[in-house]
Amino acid sequence: MAKIGVFICHCGENIAAKVDCTKLAAAMGEHPGVAVSVEYKYFCSDPGQESVKKAIRENNLSGIVIAACSPRMHEATFRKACAEAGLNPYLCEIANIREQCSWVHTDKDMATEKAADIVRSMVEKVKRNNKLQPIEVPVTRRALVIGGGIAGLQAALDIANAGQEVVLVEREPSLGGHMAQLSETFPTLDCSQCIMTPRMVETAQHPKIRLLTYAEIESVDGYIGNFKVRVRMKSRYVDMKKCTGCGDCITKCPVKKISSEFDCGLGKRTAIYTPFAQSVPNMPVIDKASCIYFKNGKCKTCQKSCELNAIDFEMQDEFIDLEIGAIVVATGFQVQNTALYGEYGYGKFPDVITGLQFERLASASGPTAGKILRPSDGKEPENVVFIQCAGSRDPSKGVRYCSKICCMYTAKHAMLYAHKVHDGKTHIFYMDIRAAGKGYDEFTRRAIEEDEASYVRGRVSKLWQENGKLMVRGVDTLLGKPVTVVADMVVLATAMVPQPNAKEFAKTIGIAYDEYGFYNEAHLKLRPVESSTAGVFLAGACQSPKDIPDSVAQASASASKVLALFSKEKLEREPVIAVNNEATCAGCWGCVLACPYNAIEKKDIRDRSGKLVKQVAYVNPGLCQGCGTCVTFCRSNSLDLAGFTEKQIFAEVMGL
Amino acid sequence: MITQEKYRTTVKELLANGTIKMAIGYRPGSTPDRRRPLFIRTSEEADQLVLDSTCITNLSGYLVTEGLLSDEKQVGIFLRPEGIRSINILAAEYQLNVDQIVIFGFDSTGREVRPLQGRNAGDFSALLTEIKENPPLTSKEPLLERVEKMNAKERFDFWQEEFSRCIKCYACRQACPMCYCRRCIVDSNQPQWINTSSHTLGNFEWNVVRAFHLSGRCVQCGNCDRACPVNIPLRLINQRMAKEVVDGFDHFAGLSPTQEPVLASFKKDDTETFIL
Ligand SMILES: Cc1cc2nc3c(=O)[nH]c(=O)nc-3n(C[C@H](O)[C@H](O)[C@H](O)COP(=O)(O)OP(=O)(O)OC[C@H]3O[C@@H](n4cnc5c(N)ncnc54)[C@H](O)[C@@H]3O)c2cc1C
Ligand code: SF4
Ligand code: SF4
Ligand code: SF4
Ligand code: SF4
Repeated sequence: MAKIGVFICHCGENIAAKVDCTKLAAAMGEHPGVAVSVEYKYFCSDPGQESVKKAIRENNLSGIVIAACSPRMHEATFRKACAEAGLNPYLCEIANIREQCSWVHTDKDMATEKAADIVRSMVEKVKRNNKLQPIEVPVTRRALVIGGGIAGLQAALDIANAGQEVVLVEREPSLGGHMAQLSETFPTLDCSQCIMTPRMVETAQHPKIRLLTYAEIESVDGYIGNFKVRVRMKSRYVDMKKCTGCGDCITKCPVKKISSEFDCGLGKRTAIYTPFAQSVPNMPVIDKASCIYFKNGKCKTCQKSCELNAIDFEMQDEFIDLEIGAIVVATGFQVQNTALYGEYGYGKFPDVITGLQFERLASASGPTAGKILRPSDGKEPENVVFIQCAGSRDPSKGVRYCSKICCMYTAKHAMLYAHKVHDGKTHIFYMDIRAAGKGYDEFTRRAIEEDEASYVRGRVSKLWQENGKLMVRGVDTLLGKPVTVVADMVVLATAMVPQPNAKEFAKTIGIAYDEYGFYNEAHLKLRPVESSTAGVFLAGACQSPKDIPDSVAQASASASKVLALFSKEKLEREPVIAVNNEATCAGCWGCVLACPYNAIEKKDIRDRSGKLVKQVAYVNPGLCQGCGTCVTFCRSNSLDLAGFTEKQIFAEVMGL
Repeated sequence: MITQEKYRTTVKELLANGTIKMAIGYRPGSTPDRRRPLFIRTSEEADQLVLDSTCITNLSGYLVTEGLLSDEKQVGIFLRPEGIRSINILAAEYQLNVDQIVIFGFDSTGREVRPLQGRNAGDFSALLTEIKENPPLTSKEPLLERVEKMNAKERFDFWQEEFSRCIKCYACRQACPMCYCRRCIVDSNQPQWINTSSHTLGNFEWNVVRAFHLSGRCVQCGNCDRACPVNIPLRLINQRMAKEVVDGFDHFAGLSPTQEPVLASFKKDDTETFIL
């Protein structure tokens, strides 16, 4: 006989305000098989859990139903309580009468009735629950970090410094990401490369880190603790074992006029190149699309110049297969293409540039060696206008969100400009100044008070050229009148948006993303560095716009999550897996094809003499994720899902 | 007649030289236009073979009789193009090995029967592609058109009315070559999803479940239609499902023995995100 305990939680007023818990408890007490039916203010509290445990022991309950919030919140809590009271944790079910009832209804009587339906259906289910044992799976103690920007580097170093192996995959020829492009960084104005390059070198030399640059993730299979990852090593055409990074080839390459991606088009590079002087690894790659040899079969100047014979035009892409236990995604962001703002004249007037281009102008290693010179004629601009929110907080053309860093870097740009061009004048068009952060408001005040940046609150409506000058027309909303500012150069604080391939990439690794393509965390407040997929963590600007301190903090947080995972030799997995009835299986192998995790194999059934009788489907418990796809496919109804068996679901439905 | 004689001779030859252990064909039935299956093991039995335009039953279901193919010997079978398609599906679903099947293909126009070129399932791919491009009209066409014109409610009522006659004899399932499961979903009673007692309760569920199980697999041979003792136009619903699958997935069931079952194949780059 079933002896079910029903525990109805008020959740403070969350449930009790809309569901008559006393009435509900009484009604459930009448239901066949229910031995105990009680209510309490907070069952998840310590005394609440104690009372559940006591009820289990005293009444020798055969299963319990907690009528409370979503199982996502407290299923684990109450399963644990069950186990402590000596009841198999899988004999505990949660009836969600908060999210699915009290929160969404206004009529108390009807909500109470619905709550009774929900609880009853779970009582019927739990009567048919079986004792299940968790499945143990081994953990591969090797982390994969994807992206070699500051976030990726920090995560890789933290994990490696704790003694665990790391594979770092970066798709560009060098580590560094955006931070390598920056000049000086807010709020302390320290030189970006001076703090970045030591990290890059440390990563490359770390005995626990395997660095794969110019590499891309081809596929990810498996699950937490046991991922199988295939990496494509794009052909550099330079043998990394032979090359010493002397750069002879680069100086000899006759194709010198390719616009440099690293300098955002403000500088030039050769066809065989390293993105920047401090590249790590400091070994060039051949840009196949620009190389003369690849175009018409003649040249090979670089190969002739290389004394070490490191250049190999026959090189092919190679694949590396990795066994991985945890993944940190740190693929960063890109700046929005501002061409969509015709009124700002980006792309039309050479002296309208993006903030990232300004970083390159201000950088000591940049195309102008740190002098602020405007692109059109190389002259020092006397008047510079900065336009904030060029794309952010603009639902009509740009993105709805705030890019978070533009207020800060624009203030920084104004300061850098003031430091470099002493009698220069700056105007900054802004909507609000958002400078929340340690030392941030002080920083923007300094720009205004010490470096005389003149802030104009309002949007720019039009930008045109007149007598060799850029005319910027906007409104000063504080004065309530239109203003026109004459400028020699205009800098747009473009929005921070996801990488162009962010959504496809998310599908490759199997994580969720938001409407823009930023990767979703498991819980915005409580699990901000975990993705929705177990064993995959997020770091840096791939999750949302972030500055360096936030990116680094999140990277260290993911590293600690990875290390916590690696602190165990085996993982316990939920025993919710598919099981096959071999007697009725028709061997059609539909389930084998349908299973997205390749968890189903063919199994031979032989008679005593060893003769093959038939083949049936066999679900590998280590690989099955319990998604249930095969169960719905199987025509002969042979597959069933432990913990959610058809018997249980049927009872649940009939209980409604 | 000529075709029938030629095939009698061929069957005798293949039996005599040991190529096939048996041939499955047709023999006279209870009325002049009804045929019964014939299992030919000897030369004498081959003389009973009938092949004319009334031979319409799709015989391929007999091939999955338990144990028939387990000795890995070859079996011959008389099949119309639909039958060849069902052989392909059975092979794609691992119920038989096409190399064991010797096909005696035929088709008819009016009363005229003609042989089809080829012996192995693979030999008919051009013919099947042609059928995919220009599906032959069936006698059900006017009814299909009528049902298509109905609105959702009328169509629902139509089928409810039709299915209400069902007596759950499962003759349709028994006759359908694609219904080879050792245990059908209706026979599973823990839990009993579909009511099996012989009243109208569960009729709709049973017929809709079967339609789902046949979608992307039905070859429109009509076995179910003809088997149904209460004349429910079963083929119609399966024909419609087949059309959905062709339109939605460009999947014409039974085109080749290696065709992936459409509703089982899962692609990671599928644009639908429901699975992840
Ligand atoms: C103009 C400008 C000025 C800024 N100034 C400051 C400042 O002064 N102070 C400050 O704190 N912050 C500043 N920031 C913000 C700072 O740049 C970011 O916070 C930081 O770069 C985020 O680091 P990340 O590692 O998350 O991303 P990224 O720097 O974008 O690095 C991502 C890396 O991942 C790689 N990658 C991407 N996709 C893949 C893939 N599929 N496979 C493998 N590798 C991949 C990329 O090539 C790149 O190397 C500024 C930003 C801008 C645009
Ligand atoms: S789908 Fe069902 S019948 Fe087919 S192989 Fe899988 S378990 Fe067996
Ligand atoms: S439930 Fe079935 S389809 Fe899903 S992972 Fe397990 S075996 Fe594969
Ligand atoms: S459902 Fe009917 S028409 Fe379709 S294959 Fe089966 S028996 Fe033939
Ligand atoms: S053959 Fe007709 S009556 Fe019999 S089960 Fe099928 S649909 Fe129902």
